[in-house]
Amino acid sequence: MEGSNDLDAVRTNLQDGIVSSSVQVAALSRSFGEIKAVDEISFEVGEAEIFGFLGPNGAGKTTTISMLCTLLRPTSGRATIGGYEIVDDPEGVRREIGIVFQDSTVDERLTARENLVFHGELFGMARNDIRPRAEQLLDRVGLLGRADDAVITFSGGMRRRLEVARGLMHWPSVLFLDEPTVGLDPQTRRSIWAYARSLRDTEGVTIFLTTHYMDEAEACDRVAIMDHGKIVAIDTPERLKARLGGDLVSLSGPDNEALAREVRDSFEIDPRFENNAVEFNIERGGDFIPILLNRIQGEVRSVGIRPPTLEDVFVSMTGHQIREAEASEEDKLRSMHQRGFGRRGG
Amino acid sequence: MTADQATAEVGKHSEIGSTRRSTGRASFLQVVRVIWLREILIYVRDRPRMISAFAMPVLMLVLFGEGLGNSIATLPGDISYRQFFFPGMVAMQVLMSSVFSGVSIVTDRQFGFLREILVAPVSRTAICFGKIVGGATLALANGLVMFAIAPLLGIDISLEIVAKLIGLIALVSFMLTGVGVAMGSRLRSVESFQMLSQVAIMPGMFLSGIFFPVNNLPVWMDVLVKVNPVTYAVAPIREIALSKQLSELPADAPFQITHVDWFGYTLSTWEELGIVVIFGVAMLTIAIRGVRTVD
Repeated sequence: MEGSNDLDAVRTNLQDGIVSSSVQVAALSRSFGEIKAVDEISFEVGEAEIFGFLGPNGAGKTTTISMLCTLLRPTSGRATIGGYEIVDDPEGVRREIGIVFQDSTVDERLTARENLVFHGELFGMARNDIRPRAEQLLDRVGLLGRADDAVITFSGGMRRRLEVARGLMHWPSVLFLDEPTVGLDPQTRRSIWAYARSLRDTEGVTIFLTTHYMDEAEACDRVAIMDHGKIVAIDTPERLKARLGGDLVSLSGPDNEALAREVRDSFEIDPRFENNAVEFNIERGGDFIPILLNRIQGEVRSVGIRPPTLEDVFVSMTGHQIREAEASEEDKLRSMHQRGFGRRGG
Repeated sequence: MTADQATAEVGKHSEIGSTRRSTGRASFLQVVRVIWLREILIYVRDRPRMISAFAMPVLMLVLFGEGLGNSIATLPGDISYRQFFFPGMVAMQVLMSSVFSGVSIVTDRQFGFLREILVAPVSRTAICFGKIVGGATLALANGLVMFAIAPLLGIDISLEIVAKLIGLIALVSFMLTGVGVAMGSRLRSVESFQMLSQVAIMPGMFLSGIFFPVNNLPVWMDVLVKVNPVTYAVAPIREIALSKQLSELPADAPFQITHVDWFGYTLSTWEELGIVVIFGVAMLTIAIRGVRTVD
């Protein structure tokens, strides 16, 4: 079977550090008319890993998640979750996964506990398991005290926590979080993350999330950077940043051109012009700056140094910034298509 | 699942966390039950909706029963208009309650909760049945409440007759809820659902014999009344509700006031019920198809 060969090929490319994988994706694609929202992506996610999809709106993250959650049929390619293939056995996949959607899907007229119990019954959990499990999860997300209040009285952060708890009710092996902290204040975002981590540790669940926040991507075990429907890089945040070759040094003066020339000639570094400054990456930038300033003749008015961020990785991989990408016309169209067709029953 | 498979399943999970257990698969009836239960729970908590649901027909009965009743003098025998109208009012209550219950799919969609249901590993047909049984239960309850207040309204009806009517009203509720769910699964806003259900309910109500006997009408109206499926639901309810009064009618009554006439052929209660069942199955099919393709 051709499809399983694809998966075998991916398996041999296993990233080191992954013991066994819970999500395997091989050449998965989805087109909306002419637009390739997701273009032949392949990757694996390990068990109990926190895996992040980083990219601008319209990069294809939600489309990918929709396909993996069996809500959207792929145009081509294969993917398995917990051993179940998304097209061949959507029901098997649905039992293996928990989903927290970008928009709230709790019933605000029911209480927190009722939302969980309803979910447990819908997923065919044993009657004896449902109430203890709901109790346990409400406790873990810090909502036990409000368990019997109608959800309509909950704040945005509490609702999101409730959704995380609900997503875990039926002991899924993978929890999908689509932009889990959009619209939440920084403190609530941090608390959601703390809960997600502790749940990963106690439940042993794989967490698969999409985000366009850099700090959120930094907190993942591994990150796939997505742009225009393709995965442009996939690795741990540390290694992705290490690819840039050290700290980011920026230098500016009255004549940036001359400064760049000097840097090039004296240190065999090829600097870039960015934000009205001369920029380059170098290992241990702090040690380098005194040497640099000693050697350079031209006038320097300011020197900046900072460790590289995933934003820098994104820029170097794609040639543009995340915010710029969000404004581009084709992507607007792409996300329009997502909103229009991003859901499918099955 | 065999014992071995079950052990393997538990074993697989216990590698990861001792708390994990295998989940089974919810049976068709379990899914129907949980969806049904939620519909009831939400309804019972919505007091204003509950109260207005039965205030409306009572108002109608009192206002129409008195106002209209005094000017209608064509009912044969000793049957008062109020007595005649009462079973129609029960049918009206069931009609409105059933069709409106379909709005729950639309609100579920609007609040996002529909996705929670749709991503569960359960059959869409079971979801649809749950919705229909839930809506039908509420409609039945609303219909039966009318009997509880019947004595206060001066209606002559025995418990025995009410008992006979329960099954019939349940059937009618089921059939008409199918209409609501079929609509709800295809509409995206509560506003459009409300508009469309008004458009569906109004003619369904006025051309069904709820307010007047279905025979002895002008031809154009006669045709409309007889293609209206609600007519065949109202008639048997009234036949049973008025069975005592009808049996006391003089043999030379100018026309019979309950059974539907087809070009001189009078349908029996069972034939009318047959039409209700056929329509109900058709609506159910359309509703299931709607829920299966809902996204």
